[in-house]
Amino acid sequence: MQEFINQFFDVGFMVDHFDEVLEGFWVTIQLSIISGILALIWGLILATLRQLPGKAAMPVRFVTIAYIDVFRGIPLLILILIIAGGVPALEFLPESLRLPQWFGKKDNFWFGVLAITITYGAYMAEVYRSGIESVPGGQMEAARSLGMSHGQAMRSVILPQAVRKVIAPLLNDFIALTKDTTLVSVIALSEVTLVANDIQSETFNSSALMLGALMFLALTLPLARLVDKLIAREQGRFTRGAPRMEAL
Amino acid sequence: MESASDGGSMVSLQGVHKRFGDLEVLRGVNLEIKKGEVVCVLGPSGSGKSTLLRCVNLLEPPEEGDIHLEQRSICRGPGSGRGEQGWELDFVRQRVGIVFQQFNLFPHKSALENVTLAQEKVLDRPKGEARTKGTELLERVGLGEKMNEYPERLSGGQQQRVAIARALAMDPHVMLFDEVTSALDPELVKEVLDVMRELAEEGMTMMVVTHEIGFAREVADRVIFMDGGVIVEEGPPAQVLENPREERTKKFLGLVLER
Repeated sequence: MQEFINQFFDVGFMVDHFDEVLEGFWVTIQLSIISGILALIWGLILATLRQLPGKAAMPVRFVTIAYIDVFRGIPLLILILIIAGGVPALEFLPESLRLPQWFGKKDNFWFGVLAITITYGAYMAEVYRSGIESVPGGQMEAARSLGMSHGQAMRSVILPQAVRKVIAPLLNDFIALTKDTTLVSVIALSEVTLVANDIQSETFNSSALMLGALMFLALTLPLARLVDKLIAREQGRFTRGAPRMEAL
Repeated sequence: MESASDGGSMVSLQGVHKRFGDLEVLRGVNLEIKKGEVVCVLGPSGSGKSTLLRCVNLLEPPEEGDIHLEQRSICRGPGSGRGEQGWELDFVRQRVGIVFQQFNLFPHKSALENVTLAQEKVLDRPKGEARTKGTELLERVGLGEKMNEYPERLSGGQQQRVAIARALAMDPHVMLFDEVTSALDPELVKEVLDVMRELAEEGMTMMVVTHEIGFAREVADRVIFMDGGVIVEEGPPAQVLENPREERTKKFLGLVLER
């Protein structure tokens, strides 16, 4: 038993390496927030493109759907490796794109951001879509009947209702995204996993990794509770709203 | 009160056909509505009356035939094949207001915001002007007190009156009413019909799909009876409702009035 505790929950060991692990976790948080915001925006753009009406927009819809299908189907880990190994080799790109060093962050950080945004943008596009489709068809009809264009109706009528309905599932995706940032450790980004794993390799003690896991819990548990709260609130909302119009 | 014969043609339909897949909902409808006229459309469910109404503002553009609004063709009819590009959407939507059975108010906007949103977005009215107009209209439909309430806090009748005010805010030349009292509790029907009656008295051109025979008898200049996607019978309310010529009309009225 004592051996088990020493291996995984050595408090003294955790205290000794706390600053190191926390520094790694800070990179994890930065990676999560930047990728998370970009994925939220990119997903909304994808979902909007997917809903463009009319024959003329058919190629756009097709490409968008193909994108979403492809990137939901590719493991994020492979995508990270493809981008980190491939982009620097593209000689035609300017160096600032091949080896981005923006805002004092190294290229592997930005490759991670790119891969996560591409993948989670696809996931979040599907979440937005479910929100858009849950808005009764009569809402679009009413807005268009008042003379609004499709774009105006989307912006002022459909999306505000749709986004409100999907805040909780989006937050769920964000929690998953946060955990998936650990995959960027494979391209040598010193985030929490890599830092803690290096400590384990040197000391044969898993407590640093366990500390990293605990830091994740400190972040994800409150978020999970927030999701529950939002879902409960959403269920009490618009309960007297008009039912979906018979779509003939 | 303007009489029906004052104006020229407001809406005119020639040989309008509408299909949904294999189902032909409208099978050649011809109809002429004059400026200031109030036309009530009656008929059993599935007779195509709602579709007819939705054709007039191009929510359901017809596949065949043509529709003129204020003497201008608003759809190029068969084989125009250009989707929305072939339809005069802006021209139509600026002149035709519609009120739906299910109200379709914007649930995330207050009553007043429901009435001002399209004024600002579509007509580019300044916020102050849109608010003044919105307030005026909500007072007119008896909801001056409820301006800042959200739809979920309003009764069905109140919601429907907001929806009427919302459509009127765009200064329409024609108003379409699609079974606007059918989703209401019986005691709330009158407050909505009263607003519509007033509108008719002020000379608004109106096309009203309804099951309210009493309203049709009292307010309509003309009653149209539809069945199976065609107009079976039309004429002044007294004639169509009291002395229908067609068997189908008699049967329908018998069933409705029996209730």
